[in-house]
Amino acid sequence: MPSGVRSAALRAASIAALLLLWWAGSQLMRAPDVLPGPAAIARTIASDLASTGPEGQSAYFHIGITLARIAITFAASMLVGTAVGLAMGISRTLEGALMAIIPLLLTVPTILMVFLAVMWLGFSEAGGLVAVMTVVAPYVAVNIFEGTRAIDKSLIEMGLTFRASRALLVRKVYLPQLMPYIFSAFRYAFGMTWKVVALAETFGLKYGIGYMFFFWFEQFNMRQVLAWIVIFVILMLVLEHGVFARLESRAFFWRDSAARHSPA
Amino acid sequence: MQHEPPARPPSSPAIAVRNLRKDFLAPGGDRSFTVLDSISLTVDPGEFVSIVGPSGCGKSTLLNILAGIESYEAGCVDVAGHAGKANSQPRIGYVFQTPRLLNWLTVRDNILFVLEAQRIPQPRWDERIAKYLRMVGLAGQERNYPLRLSGGMQQRVAIARALAIEPDILLMDEPFSHLDAITARKMRLDLTEILATARPTILFVTHDLAEAVFLSDRIYMMNTKPARIFKEVIVPIPRPRGPEDSKVLDLEKALVSEFFAAVETKA
Amino acid sequence: MLRSGPGIITVALAILLWQGASLFFLPVVFPGPLTLLNRMIEIYSDPASFRVVGQTLARIFEGFLLSMIAGIAFGILMGLKRDLEIFFDSWIMVLLTVPAVCWAFLSVLWFGISDAAPLLTIVLIVFPFVVINIWEGTKARQPDLTEMAAVYRAKRPLLLRKVIIPQLMPYIFSSLRIALSLSWKIALVAEAFGAGNGVGQELINWFQDTRVDMMLAWGVSFMLVMVAIDLLIFRVWARRVFAWRPQLAA
Repeated sequence: MPSGVRSAALRAASIAALLLLWWAGSQLMRAPDVLPGPAAIARTIASDLASTGPEGQSAYFHIGITLARIAITFAASMLVGTAVGLAMGISRTLEGALMAIIPLLLTVPTILMVFLAVMWLGFSEAGGLVAVMTVVAPYVAVNIFEGTRAIDKSLIEMGLTFRASRALLVRKVYLPQLMPYIFSAFRYAFGMTWKVVALAETFGLKYGIGYMFFFWFEQFNMRQVLAWIVIFVILMLVLEHGVFARLESRAFFWRDSAARHSPA
Repeated sequence: MQHEPPARPPSSPAIAVRNLRKDFLAPGGDRSFTVLDSISLTVDPGEFVSIVGPSGCGKSTLLNILAGIESYEAGCVDVAGHAGKANSQPRIGYVFQTPRLLNWLTVRDNILFVLEAQRIPQPRWDERIAKYLRMVGLAGQERNYPLRLSGGMQQRVAIARALAIEPDILLMDEPFSHLDAITARKMRLDLTEILATARPTILFVTHDLAEAVFLSDRIYMMNTKPARIFKEVIVPIPRPRGPEDSKVLDLEKALVSEFFAAVETKA
Repeated sequence: MLRSGPGIITVALAILLWQGASLFFLPVVFPGPLTLLNRMIEIYSDPASFRVVGQTLARIFEGFLLSMIAGIAFGILMGLKRDLEIFFDSWIMVLLTVPAVCWAFLSVLWFGISDAAPLLTIVLIVFPFVVINIWEGTKARQPDLTEMAAVYRAKRPLLLRKVIIPQLMPYIFSSLRIALSLSWKIALVAEAFGAGNGVGQELINWFQDTRVDMMLAWGVSFMLVMVAIDLLIFRVWARRVFAWRPQLAA
């Protein structure tokens, strides 16, 4: 059978097999409700979406809050990271100075960052923002910085011999070569951001999907924990593959997919 | 030491191809086109036969079919009498355009790899490796890694590797085309010396008519799109030959205009 | 990185600033470098602390090893067989999308506070990462060399051993390094939720006691241990594995 159809069939079979495995697992571990099956989870999700949950807020509220947090922290990290990365590309002094401490920042485990942010800034949105930025911005900065180092100088020289203005060079020679790196940083940063937000919400923020994880975990309510995990996963898959994959086809994507999926 | 090209023995040829056809699927998968059309050729044991044709005409595909790694649509292919016999495979030595060595293994281990693959008994390994490395002029290079050798030396290792299995036939796909002119000329001369000792059966593919005339006993000329053999020429010049011998140059001159006329119209 | 002038200056400046800033706060809220050093000495003067670190290290290496072995095997399979690749692609995607904290919760709900829970968490996160790396590496193998091996009739085991796996070494190497780094960070999260012991447990305990100084002392000292291990294993090993290249592997 032609390869396109074969791929689609395999993918469908794959998802079906996953659901089947899940269902089989849930049957095997019937009591005491260790692994609720797909149907039970679907029902739980439906009822969560329809009604008001604990704290008097609807599921949409929590989802909305998490998405808002992700959007804001992601944008802030990208802006700061890109600015720093570009600055490092321009100034060798800055490069030397920052390359001494950025690897350090990258080694600090996320959980430590989250704890520190919460302890110093309290259970506030500021704390969450700082936690995300200290994890994601350095990564973006390094990425962009490496992009600036990979710029083909011979093309800039060529532009200069033709007396191109600074602005023109930046627009037509410098930035296009940087785009793949910016884009790859974009994708990677997004993956990191929602994982840190999930962690921050679990420990230190009120409302949000992570908050719900922890709330139901403390109550040992497996159904709700799984339901919220599924909501989160579906949301992220849609964002990552739906939105980013589309945007991606515009920019040249040179990184392998392993780089896209970041540590927690 | 002069000797005539081998007389054609009445015994079976080392390679016999009859009316071979090979089609390729166009990208997209809906149309197919013929790459090799009604190819027929023979190579007798101990002969050096060249196929000369423009690059990309399907010569490599033909070699791959003989090597047993490519399929074909029609025709009959027999190497060393193995055709039609179940579970019987000829020993094929193949020298590619690029050395295709395993760069993480030493020269010795590279040859060892094919000896192991061909299930040659282990006690024979050391003597074979030594013998054939000496034959290609690389005695003592066993412990070196390929990336530390020059292009010419890497290709010599590839030749030693092919010879070390003592193959039924030796296939060579433009083996000197990626080397500079000086190295390539030296390699050709060395190849003729190696042949004088080892006398393998060789099917040699090239786009260089002069190279073919210098090296071969017989030449098949091939044009392209689809690939067909349009002429067979015997090279009656006794060996040893020099690449600039008048007999070699004369024959090349005689063939050149006809060859280019036939292949250029299709370019 | 510390070799540059600006680098050394920055680090020295940062430490000085840190010490200066810490004078304005209580040590339990914002410890300075000296306070931190003191606390670390306190911690490691007690032999029980070594047992704690040992527990965490054991977990990390178990999880890491399991993930690497299973990940390499699975990655090679997926890289060699396109059908398997397409089939398991979505499973791996799902594994990767679930955040570490969720796996930590689920593992505890399934296994309770135990050694199994954090181990499962580590494997569920590191395994898919290794699979993707090795899978990509396998797909990037040189077809020329596989073809040469086919002409010389090399059988599957020989082909794998001498042709495919050596080409995978750079990928195995880099994923080894990153997998180890991932493993220890996940281990801390997993321990914070469901191990009952280990460095992660210490971190969350001190977090709940709002003792920044103790939390940082444990966190920073453990970080140093892992950095040392990384440097030791990977610098030394890299040299041997890539001896056949004209220049040293990075």
